[in-house]
Amino acid sequence: MLLYNLRLAWKSVRRHPVLSVLIIVGIALGVGVSTTFITAYHVLASDPVPGKSGVLHYVRINSWGAPDNPFREGPPPLLSFRDVREFLKSGIPVRSTASFASRMTIFPTNSPANSPAKAQERPFRENVLLTTSDFFAMFDVPFQYGGTWGAAADAKPEAVAVISAALNDRLFGGRNSVGRTFRLDDRDFKVAGVLAPWRPRVRGYDLAGEPLDQPESVFMPLELTGPMEIRVSGSQYTWRTPEPGEENLPFIDKLVLGEVLFLQLWVELPDEGRVKSFQGYLDAYVAEQKKLGRFPHKADNRVTPLLDLMTELRVVPPQTKALAAISLLFLVVAALNLIGLFLGKFLARASTVGVRRALGASRGTIFLQHLVECELMGLAGGLLGVLMALGGLAILNRVYGDGPEGVAFFQLDLPMVLAAVVLSLAAGAIAGIYPAWRICAIPPARHLKNQ
Amino acid sequence: MEFGPIFRSLLRNRARVVLIVAEVALTLAIVANCMSLILDTRAQLSRESGFDDDHMALIYTAPFAESLNQQAALDQLVDSDLRTLRALPGVRAASNTNLEPWEPGGSITAIRVPGTRGEPLRTQFYSADPAVFDALGIHVVQGRGFTQDEFEHGASAGPSETLPVVISKRLADVAFPDGKAVGRELAFPDESQRLLVVGLVDRFYKPLGTAPDRVMLTPGRTVSFDYGSTYLVRTEGDPGALLPQMEKALVGAEKGRFLRMRTVTELREEFHGRDRLLVASLNGVMALLVLVTALGIVGLTSFSVAERRRQIGTRRALGADKASIVRHFLLENWMVTSLGVVLGAALAYGLNFGLVTWVAGARLSVPVVAAGALGLWLIGIASALGPALRGAQVPPAIATRNV
Repeated sequence: MLLYNLRLAWKSVRRHPVLSVLIIVGIALGVGVSTTFITAYHVLASDPVPGKSGVLHYVRINSWGAPDNPFREGPPPLLSFRDVREFLKSGIPVRSTASFASRMTIFPTNSPANSPAKAQERPFRENVLLTTSDFFAMFDVPFQYGGTWGAAADAKPEAVAVISAALNDRLFGGRNSVGRTFRLDDRDFKVAGVLAPWRPRVRGYDLAGEPLDQPESVFMPLELTGPMEIRVSGSQYTWRTPEPGEENLPFIDKLVLGEVLFLQLWVELPDEGRVKSFQGYLDAYVAEQKKLGRFPHKADNRVTPLLDLMTELRVVPPQTKALAAISLLFLVVAALNLIGLFLGKFLARASTVGVRRALGASRGTIFLQHLVECELMGLAGGLLGVLMALGGLAILNRVYGDGPEGVAFFQLDLPMVLAAVVLSLAAGAIAGIYPAWRICAIPPARHLKNQ
Repeated sequence: MEFGPIFRSLLRNRARVVLIVAEVALTLAIVANCMSLILDTRAQLSRESGFDDDHMALIYTAPFAESLNQQAALDQLVDSDLRTLRALPGVRAASNTNLEPWEPGGSITAIRVPGTRGEPLRTQFYSADPAVFDALGIHVVQGRGFTQDEFEHGASAGPSETLPVVISKRLADVAFPDGKAVGRELAFPDESQRLLVVGLVDRFYKPLGTAPDRVMLTPGRTVSFDYGSTYLVRTEGDPGALLPQMEKALVGAEKGRFLRMRTVTELREEFHGRDRLLVASLNGVMALLVLVTALGIVGLTSFSVAERRRQIGTRRALGADKASIVRHFLLENWMVTSLGVVLGAALAYGLNFGLVTWVAGARLSVPVVAAGALGLWLIGIASALGPALRGAQVPPAIATRNV
């Protein structure tokens, strides 16, 4: 029966080629436009650390020390080294990590394991993330070889690093390089681990910085900041004017004493109890520091879950949301349009249906026949729409850029393709039900009279 | 006219009326909101920097050679780099500054007029050499720029000294509402350092935080081993064509550093990239939507004409001319489209309220809705014209025939 209906549908398509093309293009446009912009929204808004985002919390305190406070809507987004060192010692979080980004120089010539051909290569600059050993487990970062450095390397600190797959390709030809060394600025670093290719669309750990950028190529212990005199490449906020004589202090003392705000701190708090006790710990710390004369502004200590912070910091551009909403309405208009076209197409062959009904076809049969035709068109339109969405996303990618491994920023994943197909079938069904019902409700006699 | 009969015939074809009205209304709601978003974004895209964008390039240097890890060597290198760049044919001016037009980052500080209380003023804050005005293509409209002596002295100036600064007119207007800024003093909020306004520049725009048109420039070199230095170069012609020569000259002078070069137009395009994409997307959605709606109206009207061929024939046989048949369908369409447009205007405000409240967007203005309504109304009538003309071709004889 289904085959027979499909054959009838195919005949009907062939009989009205122009109208059929119009219908298919109509569905395709609706599906294509909405899939493009919903994918863009979906990519940016989806959980950057699936399964873990609920336990990851971002920490902020109102640590601005100058009388004039430029942060109107809450505490500053970043923390000082002085406070972060203290918070990292707290035993309440299961894990905790702080980070900031820098740019450093890699000297391939000094990497002992290099082939002679590479010895000629000029030094190059890479983005580096200064962080702690818990970082990788907290943000579910995938490893290819090795793993994170240990807590001992954090404390000492040792010159160890985790490098990206792309950097491993460039320095070590993609082989397992754990235990090998490479030169970064003025030190030889030992490779502790190599990441698998990793391109989160939203960098969960850098929501207050540049969340849409690619992850850094080198990850190394935060406490190397002092000994290596590493400068911040991202945002930093300073309010304190150095006192006379301070300029001769060691770099790290100036950084700590200067109360420069440049660090992002994440804590892993798996249950409500720990959230509460960490909040209590934070309040107590701030109250104590206020007694010492720090933090002149009203206390505002925040422990914010990851997804809430994404909303608060508007990681998804509001325009992307607006476009997703508008494109869904577009689909509604396309479906309305479809109803009209189907209605015209079906009623034009009322007399044929009249004959079929007179010869004994039931209303259900006629209804099914037309619905099958609608779904066939819906499916064809949906597939064409997916192709259009691929084109649309390619245009968006021209602006959002490609990843290091040539990975496009916006990609159509399987769930979105399935959603698009289901959407087009739904559009076909919703648009087809009324016209199909109209055509099978026509009394056969009226159309037989004139024959 | 034939309003009565047309209206009654419409009542008998409710499905068609509802479809067209709904389609027109939704389309108008979407189009009006798209247009309002486009206008809002366009306003930002069309702001000009006030600089000679088309003839500027930025050169970023980042030293890595250990021999450069001392300030004196870096300072010397900056001076020799500037001489090298200025000696190149086609280069009008070159300046060492951390003011980077159309770069997304920058630095903001707070200042106040000494002795005043209350909210300090936020302004962008950069250091520069005396050539910076020439390199940006802006003029000092009041007072003067920096002297070479001030530049040389700049970095080593102690906190007790008064620093000369050049500020933008917008900043001067807020700080000194009486209009006399040159010769007056400013200070950081804790009054740790005094600043003397020596000159004003008129045109300045660099989108950053809450102070896009306020700037304060102070004389001094900006170079360090960790952050390198930046040169702003203004050329006679296309700066892109000169980049290879500049690179060659600078690499020839010192190999122990990285160079990165961008034209300011490139930076501006990058800065605007996502906004342009938004405008393009909205335009695309709008065009496709109007196309789909127009096709829908054509389809529904054709169908209604086809359905009424016998009635048309009868009317023609009874003496109606072709023009009155066309008029009938156009009037019918006009009534339906008008209803859609009226509902659509209301829907547009509803959708706008939703977008502004929950998502983003600009408030809808009346001219935008009116323009959208007029456009859709014309499109609606134009879409009906084809089928109506075809309907008029139905011969009167059809009334007498069995199909």
